[in-house]
Amino acid sequence: MSDPRWSEHVADILRRNGIRLFATVPDYIVSQVLEHLWADRDCTVVTACREEEGLGILSGAYLAGSRGALLMQNSGLGNCVNTLASLNTAAQIPVVLVISHRGDLGEFNPAQVPMGQATERILAALDIRCVVPHTVDELEAQADGLIELAYTRSLPVAFLLPADLTGGRPDLTRGEG
Amino acid sequence: MNRAVATRLLAQRLTDEVVVTNLGQATIDLQQHGDRPLNCYTFGSMGQCSAVGLGIALARPDVRVVCLDGDGSLLMNVGVLCTAATAAPPNLAIVVWDNEAHQTTGGQATATAFKTSLAGLARGAGIAKVIEPANEEELAAAFDRILAEDGPFFVAVKVDKGFAAGALDRDVIGFKLRFMQALAALPIRR
Repeated sequence: MSDPRWSEHVADILRRNGIRLFATVPDYIVSQVLEHLWADRDCTVVTACREEEGLGILSGAYLAGSRGALLMQNSGLGNCVNTLASLNTAAQIPVVLVISHRGDLGEFNPAQVPMGQATERILAALDIRCVVPHTVDELEAQADGLIELAYTRSLPVAFLLPADLTGGRPDLTRGEG
Repeated sequence: MNRAVATRLLAQRLTDEVVVTNLGQATIDLQQHGDRPLNCYTFGSMGQCSAVGLGIALARPDVRVVCLDGDGSLLMNVGVLCTAATAAPPNLAIVVWDNEAHQTTGGQATATAFKTSLAGLARGAGIAKVIEPANEEELAAAFDRILAEDGPFFVAVKVDKGFAAGALDRDVIGFKLRFMQALAALPIRR
């Protein structure tokens, strides 16, 4: 059973590590984190049209002295691949990726499944250090260290958030998700 | 208009502004005609020039940021115009060298060679201050305006096709570090 406070933990982890600028293409799951950030006057959330555009924005902000995080669904990781390689990796520009993992255990939408199954291998292919916390305790145990590693190594890192942490996305609307 | 001449018109007006250049021709031209530490060159991420500039503008609202994007690259990530219009940083100007071609890959036509107007896209995205200078005199006036007045601005400049003169210096990490140090050294003005 997912801890309903998972999203508050994620928001607090990002903020206590000095991140105040966020870019997103929202989904049902990361929106639960965004609610906390939207409510915080010290935080700026930029909604991009496409996830890779968010990477460009956060990369510019990093060059100007600000830490940033990109909140998106794993489908958005697919939209980010070239930018993660040719901008963030090539120029050594760190960014924290917060990725909701659709298309894995309990998925109801067949269109989400191929990307869901490819997600961890895409991150591995890009040499992006990733943690997959299944509980809030696991999240808290790994989070500060992962973010520190991003800035030590000057490269992207990823939180991949599985459905057992977040509760996933219920198929309430019978719509696309 | 000749892109190198247009680049020099901007370079000779710069003081403590940031200039972000699109990979390929825009970067070569600025390296050749106005290299300086506050230039942020991009090298490999087609479509990211204006997004990087938007991020710098948001993180340093006290510093004016001018992007020198290209038509092919902007079209790849044209949604950034909507994001820039919505965030509306007054210190951002997006200038596009529109030669109606994918110059770096050999001059293949882009959509602006046919039906598409970049200025129209910018207006549709919600950027109110859109300038379409028709000659060098109007471009010089546009540069004077974007360096003095609150934006965000979008400046669509039709330029001639053709490769930039000179070789691209691809010291990606070196230029990045130089830029970060130069910008960090600019005192934050409130």
